[in-house]
Amino acid sequence: MKKGLNTGLTAFAVLTYLILIGLPTRLEGAAQPVLALLLALFFFAVLRSQGKEMGRGELLQSGLVAGLVAGLLVVAEIGFFVGLLADGVKIQPVFDKVVPLNMAALLNVRAGAIINGETSLLAYAILTAYLTGAGLLGGLLVLFTRSGTASTVRSTRIPGGRWLVILLPFLLFAFIYYLGLDGVKTFGNDKNIVRLLLVLVATGAGLFALAAAKEGVEKLAIGGLLAGVLLFLPFVLNQFQNSVMSIVFIFVMMGLGLNIVVGYAGLLDLGYVAFFAIGAYVYAFVAAPFSSPYISSLLTGMGISPDSPLLGYWSAIPLAMITAAIGGVLLGIPVLRLRGDYLAIVTLGFGEIIRLFMLNLGDLTNGPRGLLQIAQPTLFGVAPSALTSHLDAQGWIFLLAIFGSAVVAFVAIRLNDSRLGRAWVAMREDEDVAQATGIHLVQTKLLAFAIGATFAGLAGQLYAARQINIFPENFSLFVSIDALALIIVGGMGSIPGVVLGALALKGLPEVLRGVDEYRIVAFATLLIVMMIVRPEGILPSARRRRELHSAEAPPPDESDVSDKPTDGQLEGGRA
Amino acid sequence: MAALLEAKGVTKVFGGLTAVDRVDLTIEKGSIASLIGPNGAGKTTFFNCLTGLYQPEKGSITFDGHSLVGQRSDQIIGLGIARTYQNIRLFKGMTVLENVLVGQHVRMKATPLGAVLRTPSQRAEERQAREFAQQLLEFVGLGGEEETLSTNLPYGDQRLLEIARAIGSRPQLLLLDEPAAGMNPRETERMIDLVHRLRDKKGITVFLIEHDMKVVMNISENITVLDYGKKIAEGKPVEVRSDPRVVEAYLGPGVLLDTSGGTEKK
Repeated sequence: MKKGLNTGLTAFAVLTYLILIGLPTRLEGAAQPVLALLLALFFFAVLRSQGKEMGRGELLQSGLVAGLVAGLLVVAEIGFFVGLLADGVKIQPVFDKVVPLNMAALLNVRAGAIINGETSLLAYAILTAYLTGAGLLGGLLVLFTRSGTASTVRSTRIPGGRWLVILLPFLLFAFIYYLGLDGVKTFGNDKNIVRLLLVLVATGAGLFALAAAKEGVEKLAIGGLLAGVLLFLPFVLNQFQNSVMSIVFIFVMMGLGLNIVVGYAGLLDLGYVAFFAIGAYVYAFVAAPFSSPYISSLLTGMGISPDSPLLGYWSAIPLAMITAAIGGVLLGIPVLRLRGDYLAIVTLGFGEIIRLFMLNLGDLTNGPRGLLQIAQPTLFGVAPSALTSHLDAQGWIFLLAIFGSAVVAFVAIRLNDSRLGRAWVAMREDEDVAQATGIHLVQTKLLAFAIGATFAGLAGQLYAARQINIFPENFSLFVSIDALALIIVGGMGSIPGVVLGALALKGLPEVLRGVDEYRIVAFATLLIVMMIVRPEGILPSARRRRELHSAEAPPPDESDVSDKPTDGQLEGGRA
Repeated sequence: MAALLEAKGVTKVFGGLTAVDRVDLTIEKGSIASLIGPNGAGKTTFFNCLTGLYQPEKGSITFDGHSLVGQRSDQIIGLGIARTYQNIRLFKGMTVLENVLVGQHVRMKATPLGAVLRTPSQRAEERQAREFAQQLLEFVGLGGEEETLSTNLPYGDQRLLEIARAIGSRPQLLLLDEPAAGMNPRETERMIDLVHRLRDKKGITVFLIEHDMKVVMNISENITVLDYGKKIAEGKPVEVRSDPRVVEAYLGPGVLLDTSGGTEKK
């Protein structure tokens, strides 16, 4: 009962935040079901961790109470705002997103009704019912994914729950496809945003499905199916949705690279944007030589016309990779002896230096005016949009980003599970002992920097192609911070975590377009909450989870602990 | 027997303190030798000089025909000297198996490119490394613990894992820094047995620092005693135990050493 009350209050705070940033305005007619669904997921997450010891009735009661408390408080809050709006009180200067449209979307009525003060009690009752229902749904979900009695959730999960998790992304993808069909009018005019949100959620759910699948054939089959669906997406989504997804996956590529440097090797690099910029500019130089005064005069001098690209997208890939790798080594050499905070500060400076270079080397980079009209990637010399009407330019970039992410993820997985990957982790754990165990520190560190930089260079090249025109401001410190934040949120050292982090931090803000200015606040809040409740990230690597939670739970392999549980627990507690 | 390691006049200075002062020492191939002395005598510092963690100011160290002075620690393990640490320093976030695999790093050749492409030679090497790690874990008595997080092992087992990690590099000489510290009598028995098996079954020369006199007197064939950085005695256990300088260093002037127990306080 008390726990339910607390959960309800927290949910109320979350909802208030969402209302104040104007989410309902964006969702329009879909506001009530979408908010209810989000809330249900929230309750599910909270109750699942809280309710381990709870019985069935207690759990449902908690969910119900939480939902009801959140619902009543939100309704009271909305009533208060609606009253103010109807009386003509100017609240916009304080809360700029609290407008009649926002309230109307929440209550599912016309905006006029809010202004005229004609809202019925029924509208409020329906919203309360939705949110209470969300609480109940959260409780039911918890019940459904575990068996009723046992407190050890892991081992007693019923098989149905697992299959639900596995099937969920596919159901969502099917729904997304349905929404894209001509003439489907669900969710009014903002199908666009709702569909994008669903794509993000479905892709994220796909990662959980993959995690829930059994090792072996099942995992392979689910992975293959998911990959197939993902490759199908660019053909189904519209230009806007594709452009958001392409930036998400470009950041996946970048995150995977930073993950090697920070997650595996433990070298905190805050200047990672430098390599992203190098990749982008190198591609821009060869794909739009006429934009750079220096290069075009050089080419004219050599008798080559600067008007056409020197290299195509594919042939420029090795160049972008190698240049970025050299950048990585050049950064790596001076910082070899630095650790922790000192390393972070020096790399931070390096990122800024590269940006200032781009800004001030006007002859080469065209300074703040940027490099313009960068050539688009082709498929054997043909623009794919000319081949099929279903794939727009952004969809093509999205497709390339999926492909690039897959390649990068493959390399990262293989490296992680190798002699070099183990050397990185050992170095992160204890540098001196790692060296005394035979690890060549200089080589190992430089390899981490160079491989991480290569991935960022690849991402940067695709980014330049996506943007068509690039400017030094595209490569500010915030790119580094975004990349770092997404691996922390997703789970340091975990590859699915990087994807999830990119979906959450690069995708969601686009859904909340109007709220973009609150992004930093949202980041900060999210990061702080994450660090408190789940320091290992949303989808952590097995290694990281064991490290951070070894004190609380025995390792997943129960057979190992069973013969001497006390020893394991004792040591874990001491650690 | 031939000398495997020969140190001459090794000196290490920290500021005004001479931690190791002109120490000469020879370790015979195939022997089990010990280094003892009161706390702060410079034993671990001497170990660190041998393994490249510290560079001695003066003196020469020759191992199997190679000079060790000026070599980095990763080069020295490549030459065949592995060690464990007084305060256990495992890679805590890695599993037991992974720790031993890292131990074999220096004997593996796979390149990053090989790992990405999973070349036949890389796969074969990886499989052999896992099999060897498995064998070593069985050898030290940690079979079945492969997937346990190393930090979750009981204290005594962590010491065993450090030894497994060290012998993963296939050393000729193994340096053990207080292998029996903090162990109960049963665990100590196991450790003594393991040290014997290391030499007899694996042919590894062992050089160890130990405070537990029962262990030292039991297994050492040769003992060197340090006090205030200087070598004060050397010889077989019987000789060292009755040496008046050793007795004095341990218990102060005028007391006879009771050899039966490890009464040294830590």
